[in-house]
Amino acid sequence: MFVYKCEDSFESVFTAIYKVYENHHQREEVFLSLDDDPRLFSTVIEVETDAERYQKVIRTLRKQFGESDYERLCLVLASLDVEKAQAVFGTVVAGLNCGCGAGHLFDNLTDTWVYKAFKLARNAGRENDRYREFIRFEELESGILYSPIKPENNILLFLMPHFADRLSGENFVIHDVGRELFGVHPAGEEWFLVQGEPTAKEESVHGRAKSLSEEKYQMLFKTFCKSIEIKERRNPKLQMGMLPLRYREYMTEFH
Amino acid sequence: MSGQDKSLMDRLAILTDAAKYDVSCTSSGVDRRGNDRPWGNGRDADKNTGKAKGIGNCVAAGICHSFSGDGRCISLLKILMTNECIYDCKYCLNRRSNDIARAIFTPEEICTLTMEFYRRNYIEGLFLSSGIVNSPDFTMELIARTIYLLRTKYLFNGYIHVKAIPGADEELIRQTGFFADRMSVNLELPTAEGLRRLAPNKHRKNILTPMRQIQNGITQNRNELAIYRHAPRFVAGGQSTQMIIGATPENDFQILSVAESLYQRFELKRVFYSAYVQVNEDKNLPVLPGGPPLLREHRLYQADWLLRFYGFQAGELLDENRPFFNVMLDPKEDWAVRHLEEFPIEINRAPYEKLLRIPGVGVKSARRIVAARRSSSLTFADLKKLGVVLKRALYFITCSGHMMYPTKLEEDYIVRNLTSEKERIRFGSDGMSYRQMSLFDDGMFSREVTSDETMQAVMGQL
Repeated sequence: MFVYKCEDSFESVFTAIYKVYENHHQREEVFLSLDDDPRLFSTVIEVETDAERYQKVIRTLRKQFGESDYERLCLVLASLDVEKAQAVFGTVVAGLNCGCGAGHLFDNLTDTWVYKAFKLARNAGRENDRYREFIRFEELESGILYSPIKPENNILLFLMPHFADRLSGENFVIHDVGRELFGVHPAGEEWFLVQGEPTAKEESVHGRAKSLSEEKYQMLFKTFCKSIEIKERRNPKLQMGMLPLRYREYMTEFH
Repeated sequence: MSGQDKSLMDRLAILTDAAKYDVSCTSSGVDRRGNDRPWGNGRDADKNTGKAKGIGNCVAAGICHSFSGDGRCISLLKILMTNECIYDCKYCLNRRSNDIARAIFTPEEICTLTMEFYRRNYIEGLFLSSGIVNSPDFTMELIARTIYLLRTKYLFNGYIHVKAIPGADEELIRQTGFFADRMSVNLELPTAEGLRRLAPNKHRKNILTPMRQIQNGITQNRNELAIYRHAPRFVAGGQSTQMIIGATPENDFQILSVAESLYQRFELKRVFYSAYVQVNEDKNLPVLPGGPPLLREHRLYQADWLLRFYGFQAGELLDENRPFFNVMLDPKEDWAVRHLEEFPIEINRAPYEKLLRIPGVGVKSARRIVAARRSSSLTFADLKKLGVVLKRALYFITCSGHMMYPTKLEEDYIVRNLTSEKERIRFGSDGMSYRQMSLFDDGMFSREVTSDETMQAVMGQL
């Protein structure tokens, strides 16, 4: 058994996949690990991220499996699961072995690792969709739009393109509170991610002054949400199912 | 008192409250990137960055931004331009003879509200409807002016859904269509007879005329787009309509047949069903002590999905002799137990169209089955992974020639197992036979739709 130890990043995992093929190891005797758990009777191989190698892998994946399946693989790596690297590896090998075409990487759900990757991608993708819906921006004094989020999966990377396209003329910041990660979009320019300092936490969420009209529009929206409900059809359970509590922490209409 | 004296907050409350009975709140059917600006303002791109000014994009799947206390999605800023109305439709809160607070928005107010809500990611766009002020033409012009302003002055690129006012000038409706993503004309009631009784100022013909006009506009536009890729798009998200259920005595078969012909002959994107909510008292209106007929509405939506995505026809689900949906079984289960000669279906060999007819198999799981069985033959454990609801499907399928459990292919046996004990007692059935809904049944629609069921209907998993 060969344990490839990689870091929790796309680059590292893709480098590891390249190395497996470089070393001519078989799928069955390889495990991609993200933690330090020792495994019996196995040789540990430390993976050092290598730009040339992972770029080659990315190019192959995109060409072979198509954009959308490549994005799903990335979503798997954005999830929290400890076995996600192995799931991606298992899926990629299965896909390459059967020579499946673009868009068919996740067809064979009877395969354990393909199914696992499929589930993780679906979960992270759903959360991404939810946040696309439920993010609420607040206008700060400076005119910047600011929104805190607390996602389980590391989805900020997938969230930013949507809002950058939608609000191209706005300065906005999406703040992953748990990871202290900021997605920053200056008006009319490309967006980028910034890793924040953990100490700035309290101040960053609460210590910002809102713009003058912010309060007014928040009140208007709350009024709207209240008035739109048909009392005769009241159904809090359905509301809960569609919009679970964990998303509501930063949502204007629930405060 | 003139509507403009009230504060913006009060008017928003009034005009939202007046608009809430409109069911449609979807933002689907259009994919438009932020820099794809069909309204001519793409040319005012920023000189430094080359990016277009303005705001907004559209996602084909639609985006719900919140859910109100009744569990319905909030996707668009759904408001009326005004709730003043010259008509006197008996089911409507805003009818002329009702003594309620009236209000009106100016086009600028609507634009500002939409823009500010959109920036904060509260909404996906605007849904603008209106009571009829002065005349249909006057009202349609107000609506047209508002969305023209929103598109060209405020450079709004998000989703816009507007009502076409029956009886308004053809040219006005045509021009509005070039600025809207979706248009809708409400059918209000399933039959002309019902309309005559409850909406004396509205006529079936007046409603169908703009519907046909929009359909023709879309077809013509499609041809233009085939030749000129950048031709302005007309109602890109298609048109929809809605019917009130339970205010008039039509049966489910009539309603479903109307919906089917709307899909086929008018190429509608969606037909919405709205369980009648008693807001007015009138001798022509039914009294519904059990609240709005939600289960009936739910069954209609299920059947609607079967029509649009599962290749069913209205005549297969219901007919003259059994014109109402079954209370205990959903329309697909009901169809399946009446057509046991088609079952069991072999999962590993049946064509896609057959798979869709199995209760517990949805569009997604049917597609996954077709994809997965290419590499290996499927077992029941695999089906579970693919998202098949075995609880319902197991009576109707085989995997490699075997059934999951030894079951009988008998109508009564399957019905007894598909429905829970509690429901059988609730509906007074002994489980050996099951009754159909009839208008005169006590407690007929009083079973609540569970949130699971509603969610399945929303996601299209039947």
